[in-house]
Amino acid sequence: MMIHYRFLWEELRYGGKQALTFIICVALSIATLTALNSFRRDVHGSLIDEARALQGGDIVIHAHQPLSEKLRATVDALERDNRLYQQRTVEFYTVALSETKGDSLFSSIKAVGPGYPFFGTITLDSGRPLGEALEPGTVVVAREVLDRLGLMMGNRLIIGDTDFEIVDVVNFESMRPVSFLSFGPRIFISMADVDQLGLLGRGSRVEHEILLKLTDPAEADELVKILGASATPRLERVETAKNARSRVKIFFDNLLFFLSCISILTLMLSGIGMQGSLSAILYQKQKIIAVTKAFGASNRFLLTQYLIMVSCMGAFGSIIGIGLGYVIKRLFPLLFGDLVPQGVGYAFHPVDTLEGIILGILVVTVFTLLPLHRLGTVKPVMIFRHETEAGKRSTAALLTGIICGLFLCLLVIRQIDDVKIGIFFVIGLVLLIGAVSLTASACLWLLKRVTLPTLVLRQAAKSLYRPGNASRSIIVTLTSAISVLLVIFLLKLNLFATFIESYPENAPNLFCIDIQQDQKDLFQTVVGEDVLLFPVIRARLLSINSQAIDPQQERERKTDNLGREFNLTYRNSLLDDEVITEGGTLYGLGKNLPTGVVAVSVLDSIAEIGEIDLDDLLRFNIQGVEIDAQVTSIRSRTKSRLYPFFYFVFEPATLEAAPQTFFAAMHLPKELIPDMITAIVAQLPNVSTINVADIAERFGQLMKRLSVIVTFFASFSIMAGCLILVSTIFATRLDRIRETVYYKVLGADSSFVLRVLTCEQAMLALLSSIVAVVFAEAAAWLICTTVFNIVYQPHWLVAAMTVVSSILLVVIIGLASSIGIIQQRPAMYLQQQNNT
Amino acid sequence: MSNPILRAAHVSKHYTIGERRAVVLNDITLALEPGEFTVISGASGSGKTTLLTILSGLDKPSIGRVWLAGKDITDLDENGLAPLRNRLIGFVFQAFHLVPSLTSLENIMFPAELNRDPDAVEKASHLLQRVGLWERRHNRPEQLSGGEKQRVAICRALVNNPRLIFADEPTGNLDSENSREVVELLLELQQEFNTTLLLATHSRSIADRADRILTLHDGRLVDDGLPS
Repeated sequence: MMIHYRFLWEELRYGGKQALTFIICVALSIATLTALNSFRRDVHGSLIDEARALQGGDIVIHAHQPLSEKLRATVDALERDNRLYQQRTVEFYTVALSETKGDSLFSSIKAVGPGYPFFGTITLDSGRPLGEALEPGTVVVAREVLDRLGLMMGNRLIIGDTDFEIVDVVNFESMRPVSFLSFGPRIFISMADVDQLGLLGRGSRVEHEILLKLTDPAEADELVKILGASATPRLERVETAKNARSRVKIFFDNLLFFLSCISILTLMLSGIGMQGSLSAILYQKQKIIAVTKAFGASNRFLLTQYLIMVSCMGAFGSIIGIGLGYVIKRLFPLLFGDLVPQGVGYAFHPVDTLEGIILGILVVTVFTLLPLHRLGTVKPVMIFRHETEAGKRSTAALLTGIICGLFLCLLVIRQIDDVKIGIFFVIGLVLLIGAVSLTASACLWLLKRVTLPTLVLRQAAKSLYRPGNASRSIIVTLTSAISVLLVIFLLKLNLFATFIESYPENAPNLFCIDIQQDQKDLFQTVVGEDVLLFPVIRARLLSINSQAIDPQQERERKTDNLGREFNLTYRNSLLDDEVITEGGTLYGLGKNLPTGVVAVSVLDSIAEIGEIDLDDLLRFNIQGVEIDAQVTSIRSRTKSRLYPFFYFVFEPATLEAAPQTFFAAMHLPKELIPDMITAIVAQLPNVSTINVADIAERFGQLMKRLSVIVTFFASFSIMAGCLILVSTIFATRLDRIRETVYYKVLGADSSFVLRVLTCEQAMLALLSSIVAVVFAEAAAWLICTTVFNIVYQPHWLVAAMTVVSSILLVVIIGLASSIGIIQQRPAMYLQQQNNT
Repeated sequence: MSNPILRAAHVSKHYTIGERRAVVLNDITLALEPGEFTVISGASGSGKTTLLTILSGLDKPSIGRVWLAGKDITDLDENGLAPLRNRLIGFVFQAFHLVPSLTSLENIMFPAELNRDPDAVEKASHLLQRVGLWERRHNRPEQLSGGEKQRVAICRALVNNPRLIFADEPTGNLDSENSREVVELLLELQQEFNTTLLLATHSRSIADRADRILTLHDGRLVDDGLPS
């Protein structure tokens, strides 16, 4: 293998801007993915690999009520056989009161035994183990409790009917690695105090858990089967720590999955940019290559030289990419803030560097195959030709396409870690790109047939069909990148509009739940006004038209699911914001129902999820009692989700006698809410109050942060799209110069050339952004209506601004890359043509 | 004496390459009368093309001045030269230089469109029919033969009815049959449009048909006379 160092050096030197574009593309393609994968490893290491620390045991049993006798008996029997050890915990939300100041705070209470937890760590200020610090009559609280209530160690805190001494502060709790998924700070109490609280009445929302530590962890799956057989279906859930789907894990799985998809898009777009810039380099060298071949250089010799050149540029790009990945990861603490679980590091490990190198090699290899293959098609006769040869579609091009496709498939499957979803993602991506590509082709086809009014516009449009211009590729890539960004933005705007901005002035901002039957009058007295109390009866839906609900399958749904516990209510009239869409009256006035069947009115949103129609038969389990109900009406709502609503409404006679609590929703001036909460909790300690305004604000902050994260990653896709534009301009630079010279020779001035170039870029951007707007609006509408189940607002002003900003961006980049072209003097070009 | 359409006075052109100063044109003075067919002849490297580019305003002389239709174009910038090139001048090049993205008809129309001529289509169509390429009006340059390309280029040069046509070795890329046809066409149209034609060539047969021959040698105008 002969390496001609001087040839190589000259080629690299005169590759100039195209070589730089290539290097940036390589860097961009691996930077986000390397940083993201490194971060994913850290998060997985922290959450998934230490699942036991996250769950607190080898096996976890969950229930919303005390465990059934049967399951308790099985657990006890297994403990007696020395196959496991057990620990009980109880978790619920309530308001804690400061004894000295009277302030209140909605908090997450966890009652634990002395040995808690089996696995994981809870670090306290004092350095003592939790079991040692926490005794009956005392509490260990999160720092936030002290800060927000203005308390100190030794002060007393009232929870329910009992007051506690604050004896320590929690610094870290491995079972609760992030705070943003919780509504209130943690307070640990001793299991011995639970019954004295007086808070766990009928219908209270409590999470009962039994943590199991196994003598032989290898038995986990077998014991889950044994325990599962004793568990009450639907009411008790038995899971191993590894299989347990914690909210943190689900959140990060979804977020990292989504960011991975964006990073793959960036990689693809950068790959196309890489291909474009290398094609530009080789296109410029065409004559040199032809001359070299005329003097006897073999294809192999040339391929070797350019392969080394590409490898050098690829290596350089990979080094920059890995460095950029490191920088991006250093930005993650700023970007993710408190979303990241405690204990997750931000270091860049050797494995991250190794991954960057491997990814760099693969990306460069795959995306440079086709341009390098084209080296062989350059014939010495090209020395005498000025015209460009239109690229011929060959078997090699097809093969390269297949290799690129396979590479992407493998990459996606590896990133997403699920073959099925990976294949669906690739198919989806291919279909999306195919649809965008078809739309782009249709637009270009139409543009070709439209007679534009001015010469400048006509010339600009003609330029889009210049051989090698890759207009369709530019439109496809720009459209994909703009669509992703716009979809995110539209989703954010719609979620904000629904949950935050459109928060109606008089909408309820304080919800009170778990008001007991005998507390109704006292509650009205404390609140001091006539507040509407809604009866709440907790129940599960067992079947629809005898078709049993599968809770496991229901949990897979991205929308609300039918397997969860529902709050039923009863009344004879519609609420102010309700209308009947089907059935005429709430309970089908005069309708004869079968014996033993009662009437139920269903809200349209849950009817849609469960495909429930009028007259369908629903079977409910209301705290052990099964009833059959026929759908007599479908209701719809006219106000936002912030107003109270019930999916299932019954006639009073049906549920009046059932065990129930009451729910109240009221609107108060924001500044009065804390005092009202304190007053309610002082009189009715078991009543849970939810400051909705506060939650909406926190949700808004979370949305903003997520939007910043996604925009940050999607901006790399936009950068890649811009690089494709730059590389295409470089690839067609000679043609553009030639056209400019011809225009000038025929009497056009510089402003004409400038206007043609500007219009050409503007047309590309206009087409791309309009197609992107259409796709993004459609995608955002689909997500809002199917996933979030909210009304979609198209936000046309944002769409218009996207189009305008895309045009500005593309025109600026296009013109900046074309400065030399506009300034080209005709005589110099013509002389060069005559001399070559 | 009538007003010359083109005048050059003491035009020189030199380049500095490294430390060497190359003189391409040396003190050329000439004038062209309207309707005249003048040939610039000389061996390769004698400065024919450079003289043509300077006289047509595509390049600037290092020393000397050039007047086109009585206007001094020496110091005009590109934007100042653009309207003159469009309305007063037509170019025919050896390498055709047709815009690849445009069809034959569009290539011919282009200078007229730049001139905002409402009859651009009619004029271009008429010229295309005149040169027998009407059937090829929708073909792009890559779909035309060398002779056809040059005929389209001649039409393009004439579409704005220019007062002066500059032709640089217009038959240089053609075979003898096509060369003969293109020259015939160029001369016919020159007569028809009553245009001044300045043609650079080293072909003796073409030079013999000119009204006047300017002979260059090493950048100097060594002869200004009639054909033999």
